[in-house]
Amino acid sequence: MTDPLLGHALVPVASPEDAEATGRAVFPRVAAVDGRVTALHVIEKAGGAPDKAGVEQREEYAEEVFDVVRTHAADADVPVETKLVFATDVTEAILDAARATEASAVVFTPRAGSRWLSLLSGDTSSELVKRADRPVVALPEETDE
Amino acid sequence: MSDEELAKDLGPLAALTIGVGTMIGAGIFVLPGPAAAAAGPAVALSFVVGGVISLFTALSASELGTAMPKAGGSYYYVNHALGPLFGSIAGWGNWMGLAFASAFYTLGFGEYLASFAPIPALTVAGVGLSSFQVGALAAGVTFIAVNYVGAKETGRLQNVIVILLVAILTVFAALGALQADLSTLRPFFPPETGGVGAVMPATGLVFVSFLGFAKITTVAEELKNPGRNLPLAVIGSVVIVTVMYAILMMVLMGVVDWATLGASKTPVLDVADIAFSTLGVGAVGVGLLTFAGLLATASSANASILASSRINFAMGRDRLVTPALNAIHPRFATPYRSIAVTGALIVAFILFGEVKTLAKAGSVLHLVVYGLLNLALIVMREADPPEYDPEFTVPLYPVVPVIGAVSSFGLIAFMAPLEIALSLLFVCGGAVWYFAYARRTATEPGILADYIHSRREELPGPAVSAASSVAPTDEEYRVLVPLANPEHETELISLASDVAAARGGRVVAVHVVQVPDQTALEFGAEHVEQVEPESETLLESAREDAATRDVPIETHTILSHRSFEEIFDAARTHDADMVVMGWGEDAHGAPGRAESAYDELTQSLPCDVLLFRDRGLDPSRILLPTAGGPDSDLSAAIARILRDRSGGAVTLLHGADDEAAGRAFLSEWAEERGLGDAAQSVVTGDVEAAIEDAAADHTLLVMGASEEGLLRRLVTGTLPLDVVGDVDCSVILAERSHDRSLWERLVG
Repeated sequence: MTDPLLGHALVPVASPEDAEATGRAVFPRVAAVDGRVTALHVIEKAGGAPDKAGVEQREEYAEEVFDVVRTHAADADVPVETKLVFATDVTEAILDAARATEASAVVFTPRAGSRWLSLLSGDTSSELVKRADRPVVALPEETDE
Repeated sequence: MSDEELAKDLGPLAALTIGVGTMIGAGIFVLPGPAAAAAGPAVALSFVVGGVISLFTALSASELGTAMPKAGGSYYYVNHALGPLFGSIAGWGNWMGLAFASAFYTLGFGEYLASFAPIPALTVAGVGLSSFQVGALAAGVTFIAVNYVGAKETGRLQNVIVILLVAILTVFAALGALQADLSTLRPFFPPETGGVGAVMPATGLVFVSFLGFAKITTVAEELKNPGRNLPLAVIGSVVIVTVMYAILMMVLMGVVDWATLGASKTPVLDVADIAFSTLGVGAVGVGLLTFAGLLATASSANASILASSRINFAMGRDRLVTPALNAIHPRFATPYRSIAVTGALIVAFILFGEVKTLAKAGSVLHLVVYGLLNLALIVMREADPPEYDPEFTVPLYPVVPVIGAVSSFGLIAFMAPLEIALSLLFVCGGAVWYFAYARRTATEPGILADYIHSRREELPGPAVSAASSVAPTDEEYRVLVPLANPEHETELISLASDVAAARGGRVVAVHVVQVPDQTALEFGAEHVEQVEPESETLLESAREDAATRDVPIETHTILSHRSFEEIFDAARTHDADMVVMGWGEDAHGAPGRAESAYDELTQSLPCDVLLFRDRGLDPSRILLPTAGGPDSDLSAAIARILRDRSGGAVTLLHGADDEAAGRAFLSEWAEERGLGDAAQSVVTGDVEAAIEDAAADHTLLVMGASEEGLLRRLVTGTLPLDVVGDVDCSVILAERSHDRSLWERLVG
């Protein structure tokens, strides 16, 4: 098959913990089809009001997140690119990035969290599925064997 | 739109509302009673004096802010210009000042809440709480929770709140003015309060109303077009607020005489009742102003909590507090620890504080910071480092910053001894903190120290020694060099000496001797000569090499059953700030070992690490590829040290998708790291190939590791850039330490 589902996975990562879980689930599968990965971290902007944390602080944080991704990529020997974007709408930013990089699918590992947490921090996963214009793949978290 | 533009999305209105929103809260809604009691109608003058003092500092803050649009604002400028001792004082002062002010705002919120909601007084754990305090606690916890969770909507609400506030207050002032009677304002300087002499002490009391303008500078990095919008917002908010305060005070005291006002619990609401009664809606007026009071105090408290987390971040970046304080919450993406700590302080101040004392202690701490900020401006102007290029410059330099500094420090004299003592406690606390903790961790000596150091021949000796005696710990910057192969000893010691000399530190050379597991270490220690006859020879030549460079050195032979791991244990025991180690075929016998051991080891580097692939140390033509990030900061610092020591040249190389953006990034990056004069090259294609090509013309390649686990990759052969193995020149790889906990820093 010329265009496997995970041929070019766009992987949104929110935190080092998320990158750890997602990395473990995504990279072996992408490696299996000789695919590549674009890791995306979205810095949510308030859009005209002061942000929750400073830009520089968030950029340092993004670097921490990407470090985890790169380690997993190196372990699985999968080519990885990292992409950092600023946006007021995280879901929109993920889908935009997928279009811009012509990714074959958006791949993520749902983060465990109670419903009220989703309410507070916005349920990006379900928004993503609703508004997607390409395959969205949710991988289960890999547990240590 | 570029990412850069998206990252900077605060327009002039948003910036102005941060300033106006913070300042409008306190003066009008909480202070009129005590202020009227303090100076009578003349307190309007006190607000004008406070505004004028703020204006001088606002001008200085604007210049510094346009030159250095960095998170942290006032703290950052003071630390950058005056060094980490004053940085510690300003940072702690600013942080605690904001916590005091937030507690004060929150108590104000509690007062307004209690004016209509039936909140009971409580006794909690033996502490009796008034209904104000109960309301304030509930509100304080709510504000902190909102910031902890970080709803972005609250930020946008700020604009609406401030516009609403200004509108309500304008209507209030207009209706009040119709009811005002000039005779109520007489005598303007009531003798009961001390006449004209009461104006300055009252200024001290109301100065807490002006603490908002500097908060704009803490979010300077997020401003669109900071060169224009920052001065506009900072100076504009001071002018707007001063005018509003002066008019409103006159109106309040024109409607109700000052003595009655001063005795009232709710002076603004009393006046609102009268003012709105002309329209037959006195109750509406009271409701409207109560609502405004809640909004104003809430927005002030909210902005202060936000600003304090920015200051924490900036302090963590300069290692004046542990960066662990600034961890980002994995789900909320907020600096949750910083907010929680500030929140706990605010709650404590609400429990034990009293409105007037909190307001004035908050003011004194801010005045200290403002005074230092003006001094910082003078230092920056006098030292005039090349990267200092403000878009906005204060008029009439040096008059403005001198008056700014003198008036800020001077106003402190009009405070009560208790408040000064309380603030002094924190100022001394900041200094003690520096000497006890931050001196060992602070990264930058500051422009002032650099300036004094560069002029040490012309300046009086006491100034120079005073500067160096408070500089970040000199002697204790320790560069650990594990030696293995005698062939590379001279080059490694030279490199380590250069780094140590640049930081005024010393070299610690260690020879790790691996003894078989069967040999007891105690036995080995007594028989070093037998176990490892070369050890003493190796360390002796290390001492000679360091001596030629005039760098203090100490040497140790370490016996261990392990070799590689022992290096990092040694780094911890010798309190090393940096490890300089060789890497190559026969250095430390690294490869081929169980990966897990390195995994654990390299996950928590106790200090910065330089890996040196030795093909001769010749820093005459240094190639420095960079992609930004903390590790490249270290590689930049190393390149600069080597360049300065050898008089060599540096070439910067940056890979980017877009050449113009790459150039912009690289020139800014270079400026910020004092490498503005280095040759710059931006490549758009294959970066690795470009590095390899460029390396052919250079004598030394200095690279940041740019990712964690560098050492692990190195020993497992999965180094991200194969290029490092392919080039022919010497290579230095730099990796920054991973953060240690506060406990480890204090104890270890």
